[in-house]
Amino acid sequence: MLQLTNIDKTYRTSSVETLALNNINLNVKKGEFISVMGPSGCGKSTLLNIMGLLDEPTGGEISIDGSRVANYHDKELARLRNEKLGFIFQSFHLINDLSVLDNVEIPLLYRKTSAKVRRELAQEALEKVGLSNRMKHFPKQLSGGQKQRVAIARAIVGRPEIILADEPTGNLDSVMGNEILDILQKLNDDGATIVMVTHDDAMAQRTHRLVRLFDGTQVL
Amino acid sequence: MLRHLLKLIWNKKGSHSLLIIEIWASFMVLFGVLSLIVYNLNNYLEPIGFEYKNVWVVDLNNNQDTTAIAEKTTQIMQRIRSYPQVASASRMSSNTPFSANTMNNSTNYQKISSMADDYYTDEEFSKTLDLPLTAGRWYLPEDRVSKSTPVVINKKLQEKLFGDENPLGKVLGNNDSESEGNQKTTFRVVGVVDKFKAKGEFMLDNPAIFKLMDKNDKWNKLVLIKTKAGTDATFEERLVKDIAAMAPGWGIEVSYLTESRKNRHNLTLVPVIIFLIISGFLLTNVALGLFGILNLGIARRRSEIGLRRAMGATEGSVTAQFLGEMWVLAAFSVILGLLFAVQFPIMNVFDIAAGVYLTAIAAAIVVIFVIVTLCAWYPSRQAARVQPALALHEE
Ligand SMILES: Nc1ncnc2c1ncn2[C@@H]1O[C@H](COP(=O)(O)OP(=O)(O)O)[C@@H](O)[C@H]1O
Ligand SMILES: [Mg+2]
Repeated sequence: MLQLTNIDKTYRTSSVETLALNNINLNVKKGEFISVMGPSGCGKSTLLNIMGLLDEPTGGEISIDGSRVANYHDKELARLRNEKLGFIFQSFHLINDLSVLDNVEIPLLYRKTSAKVRRELAQEALEKVGLSNRMKHFPKQLSGGQKQRVAIARAIVGRPEIILADEPTGNLDSVMGNEILDILQKLNDDGATIVMVTHDDAMAQRTHRLVRLFDGTQVL
Repeated sequence: MLRHLLKLIWNKKGSHSLLIIEIWASFMVLFGVLSLIVYNLNNYLEPIGFEYKNVWVVDLNNNQDTTAIAEKTTQIMQRIRSYPQVASASRMSSNTPFSANTMNNSTNYQKISSMADDYYTDEEFSKTLDLPLTAGRWYLPEDRVSKSTPVVINKKLQEKLFGDENPLGKVLGNNDSESEGNQKTTFRVVGVVDKFKAKGEFMLDNPAIFKLMDKNDKWNKLVLIKTKAGTDATFEERLVKDIAAMAPGWGIEVSYLTESRKNRHNLTLVPVIIFLIISGFLLTNVALGLFGILNLGIARRRSEIGLRRAMGATEGSVTAQFLGEMWVLAAFSVILGLLFAVQFPIMNVFDIAAGVYLTAIAAAIVVIFVIVTLCAWYPSRQAARVQPALALHEE
């Protein structure tokens, strides 16, 4: 469903050139739960960003549902991000000035959905992550684990086919981390395809497949 | 989306207060500057109401001579009017067009009184300056027998004293009628002229009253001469020589209204230009200040922009969101500013017409929105174009 072929990524700044990804080939199949591991700075986030169309590769091809993503214009990329992909970040990226419910509604603002349906879908997503009783709260009033659950609700509210999670438990203690993993596992059981970056071997054990990176190269 | 915007703005009201104050202050500054510009422009666009071309001013200075001034002046006037080069000539008080002199006085009709510019002239004045009458007529020699001094007023004074009433034949009083050797204390209106902006284009169309000068007046020494087209300096030389022969010892000086107008304009334009430079400077400051604040505000929200784009916002919708937020804030600030600004026309501050203030308010709103739009559009577009991954990276 999501295929990477010969992906390269080089970061160029005025003084240095970093080869962050080197000839990556990866085929994510429907319903898979993949974990990505590797030491810090090996290119895991870069890989996830490229899969999520948040960054352009320097070389290689990405296909989603068999059609190649290349020279896509802003509008088409935005539509794909909105409908096909859901993101979860290590640092949550919640908007502090919006309530939990309003944060979860954000992806739906960028499609044609009525305010009423938006509300219903957001409530439903928050129920799935067990936060129905915190809808009127603001991010500052939540614990780290709760924030990440809000972020998960936001990622799934638009019913994307693929969820990309970049160290979703990286800022959380192990109890909260396991709660988050339980939720992701449940979503996967319900049919979502998930790619997750993690440092935790135990967590990686619970996924179907492991991709290991070293210095931008795929070693497993 | 609008609801989302309003919520976002409402929840951030604390951090927006600085921006609101900045926009509000900018609006007030603009309102002040634009009021002045509109006021001056309005004046400038109003015709001056008379024709100054080919009009000369002759200053008859009797110096030490004190005998039979009035008679000599009358003779000189007769002589001047007899030249074929002279279309018309009229005596006038020292506040001639474009001169630095002004005179004003309070005039009243029954209980209503108004300040008005006071001009002493004679029967040929309207002809000499091509001053068209909108009602009645200019005063005639036979008006002199009347008990009251015949006067012509301008439209402004007519509106102030009479409103819709017909002013012709009405008698006016004067609080200080002994001035300029005038014995009569009442004035009868015989005509109305449209405008007389004696100080030129930038002058406000003030209320004005033209009083018939006493026949034996010996204080007013200025004569306006309308010469026929093509009259040149040879005639000026001859005129001065002839008058000098009739009144030995007098000083005679000739000047042209076209010249005095130029001088007067230069005097008026210098402050106007200084004012425009200051206004331009203020405007630039307002724009730069807003740009700085908006730019900073948007730069601080790069990760929000990255997040929204990751969630499916297009570059356009991110720009639209920021523009929308700024417009709502600008609207709020402008409404706040309006609470102050509308007091000016309501309280009739500085006695300036309400239309001037209302035009200035409308113009200030337009300028504020243009500046806010440009200042918000450019940085938000820049920010929206950054790759989402990069924008998200900056936390
Ligand atoms: N925006 C960027 N500009 C330049 N270099 C970058 C940028 N983002 C990441 N890198 C570099 O690319 C490499 C991979 O980074 P990243 O994908 O974030 O690693 P990981 O997520 O595995 O820790 C690192 O060496 C990092 O310094
Ligand atoms: Mg990373």
